[in-house]
Amino acid sequence: MGKTISIIKMRKQENLIGYLFASPWLFGLIVLGFFPILMSFYFSFTNYNMVSAPKIIWFENYRILLTNDNLFWKSLGITLYHVVIAVPLGIFVGLFLAFLLNSKIKGISIYRTLFYLPNVVSVVAMTLLWMWLFQPNFGLINQLLKPLYDLFKMEPLGWYLDQDLSKLTLILMGLWTAGGSMVIYLAQMQDIPVTLYESADIDGASWFKKMIHITLPLMTPSIFFNFIMGLIGSFQVFTIAYIMTGGGPSRSTYYYAYYLFDKMMNDNAMGMASAMAWILLVIVLIVTVFALRLNKYVFYLGEDS
Amino acid sequence: MKKFLSILLLGLLSLALYGCNDDTPTDRIEITFWHMSPVGSASFSDTRRIITEFNQSQDVYFVKGTGFSFWDYWDKIAVAISSRTAPDIGLSTIDDVPIRAEAGVLYNLSELIEADPDGIEIDQLYDSQLSFATYDGHLYALPFTATTRVLYYNLDMFTAAGLSADDVPTTWSELHTVAKQLDIVQGSSIQQLGFDPTYGNATYHGYLWQAGLDFFDEDLNPTLNTQGHIDVLQWMIDFNSEFTRSQLTAFGDANTMLGINPFAGERVAMMIEVDSLYQTIKEAGADFNFGVTSIPVPDDGGIRVNWGSGFSVEMYDNNKNTPDKKAGAWEFLKYLMSKDTQKDLSETNGWIMAHQGAMLEVAEGDAIMTRILEEVAYARDKVYVPYAPSWHGNDWQSYYNDALTGKKTAAQALADARANYLQKKANWEATR
Repeated sequence: MGKTISIIKMRKQENLIGYLFASPWLFGLIVLGFFPILMSFYFSFTNYNMVSAPKIIWFENYRILLTNDNLFWKSLGITLYHVVIAVPLGIFVGLFLAFLLNSKIKGISIYRTLFYLPNVVSVVAMTLLWMWLFQPNFGLINQLLKPLYDLFKMEPLGWYLDQDLSKLTLILMGLWTAGGSMVIYLAQMQDIPVTLYESADIDGASWFKKMIHITLPLMTPSIFFNFIMGLIGSFQVFTIAYIMTGGGPSRSTYYYAYYLFDKMMNDNAMGMASAMAWILLVIVLIVTVFALRLNKYVFYLGEDS
Repeated sequence: MKKFLSILLLGLLSLALYGCNDDTPTDRIEITFWHMSPVGSASFSDTRRIITEFNQSQDVYFVKGTGFSFWDYWDKIAVAISSRTAPDIGLSTIDDVPIRAEAGVLYNLSELIEADPDGIEIDQLYDSQLSFATYDGHLYALPFTATTRVLYYNLDMFTAAGLSADDVPTTWSELHTVAKQLDIVQGSSIQQLGFDPTYGNATYHGYLWQAGLDFFDEDLNPTLNTQGHIDVLQWMIDFNSEFTRSQLTAFGDANTMLGINPFAGERVAMMIEVDSLYQTIKEAGADFNFGVTSIPVPDDGGIRVNWGSGFSVEMYDNNKNTPDKKAGAWEFLKYLMSKDTQKDLSETNGWIMAHQGAMLEVAEGDAIMTRILEEVAYARDKVYVPYAPSWHGNDWQSYYNDALTGKKTAAQALADARANYLQKKANWEATR
């Protein structure tokens, strides 16, 4: 009997110690994570200028945003444009790099490191660097393209200073960090059993057929993962526009998150900004739920089909 | 080893304690003061000295100063005010004092001045600034610094073009004539530009004010839809119509990106800029001759006015009922606003301070500074529009840009901007 009690006691003690060790994380989750999330939900139903006390106005913020705010829809459209182009392009470039770097040439690990390196650079530093590269008057990119401009007798491209090109410029710049997803693709690529390729070789399959019928299908889990993560991340695009274009020229890169930020910082409308955050969450949730339906096209190795 | 470690630890601890020697003596009332001279900034040690001098001048209060960089300061103070943990006394912007006064986070300074009439030399402060610090007939802040905009002109370029200081323009048409004489173009590329109304720190609303117009009427309804508004914007667009907008942007931008002001970089002969450019040019050791003057005004009935702003100094009421601290903050406020301290602060930070008498002494013997100070009297701050606090910035920039690049006509850009302000106003009123 005495033994049982001491075991129960020990278990309790063990639990307590467990929670104690987890407490920094729990503290972070509840105080730094969960509390602000709850508060923002509350603020979204209030008029709150961050100086006076919040005043409850129920669904007024949501009504205004959805029915009487041109910039809301404009910024959402700009964000969707970014998502629709940047996500597939990012997957394509990441895959392409992975294919290139999945060979056994000398010094391959150096190349892999080089392609991953941009992910280590802070976004701010990266953006400033690309600003210099894309600078229309003395940037390196326009200097390199000068022969082409001369050949076609065209005006040099304005890149991020041209409102028709600015969105694409930011997307192109984002591809610099495709090395991040490349690493995931590469890991999965090397996980594909060699036996599959060997039997395909015996059947006389070409390189192209092997890629279409073995490599790509077995890559779908990581493509799927990067697709979902890319979707969620792209909806929140902000930093590059904040630093490089200031949302311009003429609001051409005024993303949803940027408008949200301005609502809070410039208009002192914390309530409205919180409502925008929750609307974005719902949009991302809906898109993700639809995207998750693609799961049925994903092949998981080792699962019965 | 253990002994060594404990000695090291003790050493570090005592160092840390030494670092905290700013701690309030226990017999004094601590007053917290936030400023913009953080550790490591050029003005840190002088700011600290100014605070220390106050602490040594009496033995009731002890002011503890905390400095944040200009870029961080605004977020910090905004969060502190809303969480009711604001310092006893701090700096803020003067144009939006009413929003804080209305929220009840500021002490009413008029009451304190009434009880202590000799405390502050109100007559030494600019009326226009005081009016911005007034809410409901009472002062809730005091102007601390002032800014102004002037026309800088490069005398060497004038001489090279066969002009002299007598030719410095005073009206828009003179400005155009003189500017054209100062343009230097080689082939299709601009080498030197006389003037461009979009360069430097010139703003559309600044030109509107000179023409007797404004963005908003007295009830803060957006105007913008009159022919006068269109004409002023058109004037800005057409000033250098012989060049394309991208040429003009490229010429100005190339320098800005390198961190050099186009005027300081001797590429532009005349430019509207804020007072601090003078400080920048001086510090850079520039060796060209230049002068400053009032911004030229429209030919018919132009008004001498420029956009100026400034920091306010405010006493925060955190609703904690601390009359001791309030009294202490008032004492320190009086010290900060005194002529000697204002003079000291100007020399420390390079700012134009709000105290006119102090500034006259600072500017003595400095012709350019004296001329800049003359313009402060004609400075006017932008109105605070609660439904669009950034009306001159983000809310306006894209329409302005569309008009400059020719994406929209001046009339269309103004009509669209007005529609946007009206929508913001309606939405703001709906959430009241």
